Amino acid sequence: MALPLAPYHLQRAAKMTDFHGYFLPLAFTSILEEAKAVREKAGLFDISHMGHFLAKGPDVRRHLNGLITSDLEAVPVGKCLYALLPNDRGGTVDDLILAASGPDEVHIIVNAGNRTGDFAWLRNHLPNAISLEDLSSGQIGLALQGPSSPQIASLLGGGFEGMKRREARFSMGPVSQVWISRTGYTGEDGWEFFGPEEAILPVYRILSERGADYGLLQAGLGARDLLRLEMGYPLYGQELTPEKTAFDAGLDFAVNLRKGSFLGKDKMLEKREEAGRERLTGFVLLERGIPRTHCPVLDPSTGLQVGEVTSGAHSPRVGGGFGLAYMDPVFLREFEQGKEAGIEIHGKTHRARIHDRPFWAGGLSEKK
Amino acid sequence: MSSERRYTPTHEWIQSVGDPFRMRVGITDFAQKEITDVVFVELPKIGKKVPRGAEAAIIESVKAAFSIYAPMGGEIVGINSAIESNPALVNADPYGAGWLFELKVDNASEWSSLLDENGYRAHLSSGSVGGH
Repeated sequence: MALPLAPYHLQRAAKMTDFHGYFLPLAFTSILEEAKAVREKAGLFDISHMGHFLAKGPDVRRHLNGLITSDLEAVPVGKCLYALLPNDRGGTVDDLILAASGPDEVHIIVNAGNRTGDFAWLRNHLPNAISLEDLSSGQIGLALQGPSSPQIASLLGGGFEGMKRREARFSMGPVSQVWISRTGYTGEDGWEFFGPEEAILPVYRILSERGADYGLLQAGLGARDLLRLEMGYPLYGQELTPEKTAFDAGLDFAVNLRKGSFLGKDKMLEKREEAGRERLTGFVLLERGIPRTHCPVLDPSTGLQVGEVTSGAHSPRVGGGFGLAYMDPVFLREFEQGKEAGIEIHGKTHRARIHDRPFWAGGLSEKK
Repeated sequence: MSSERRYTPTHEWIQSVGDPFRMRVGITDFAQKEITDVVFVELPKIGKKVPRGAEAAIIESVKAAFSIYAPMGGEIVGINSAIESNPALVNADPYGAGWLFELKVDNASEWSSLLDENGYRAHLSSGSVGGH
């Protein structure tokens, strides 16, 4: 599916790719240069493929709270919340960002590949008194990311640079039902914008025309994936699946067990107690190579497979190949104590060692 | 056989380096653009015999791994060690400093079945670009 900014990307000779049926830039120039620009200055991403829903009705926050892992009722209006949407087996339907725009209305940002499934899931599980609208069609989504984002955001003249981290706003001039938040998926400061063309196209124009003065590069999905992986952030379909729980993926921070019950909670807790439960861990390669999704993880003492890579990449900031993998709990215990693992790439075993997430401590994760 | 550069449908080039049996192999400009940021190249060992069409090297880019096939059969007699320390040469100068390996070819007649400049251009514009 072509998205509204596709003609602009083609004009810039972007390398385009198919992502869950959406035609999006993979890279404009170089994935490494675009990622570097985001870490050092700024990058602009087209994220129009992401889904944007609006749920409205009496007690909508309480009803949504019964479906998500974190506590939406504890978060004030205009503040973003990260949550998982579990299925009835404790696995994961999707991961989401939610923010209430008023006492009885909540905006929800969902992954492109899950847009239809999420909508059906939410519709089926919310009472009829709650209306659910998919605002995604024809909308433009933009992510401005990087340490220079505040200066660049000030070019927009909307006073966005005064927003706090994770603050969200829902109108732009005369246009309502937009989403503007100080959030992102790169580990850097920045903003995300979703809304109809009339509101967001002018934002794109200003950022793409004047951002370059501040070192901003347009960036594609390649850089976006590398940057999120450097932070150890999960990607639905790789780290998160209908079988994996938030606990398996190490997203315990996004699960609030003290709030009221939510769908899938008991199953998630049951799964957490399973002895053979595989868990996600970070690793770095000790030899030259790039791990990729589905590469087997081997126990070097037995040669047996003890896991599988979910995401892998090469980063000059991490110093080589690195990634995330699900590993068998018995092996993982040894791996955590310093034992090496073997990652099989093109039929050859590469030595790997455990690594904390994030892989790169800068941006918002920097200890200040 | 001449010093003319010839091509494969999978976007390798091959060219004599003077000695008519000693041929240098690399990837085309189209291929380097498709592959983008080369992070490193897994080069074959000198002395390795590679049949025509067999995988002879692997280029790892930020995007993915790409197999490089031998355009002609032969023995690996040279590798470009400069790209081991500076893999970006493959992107910057694919027909020059970014070459991959040299082959001592077994059967010089295989040359005639490779694509010439016009044939490779036609292959690119036909849209049937596979391989990489």
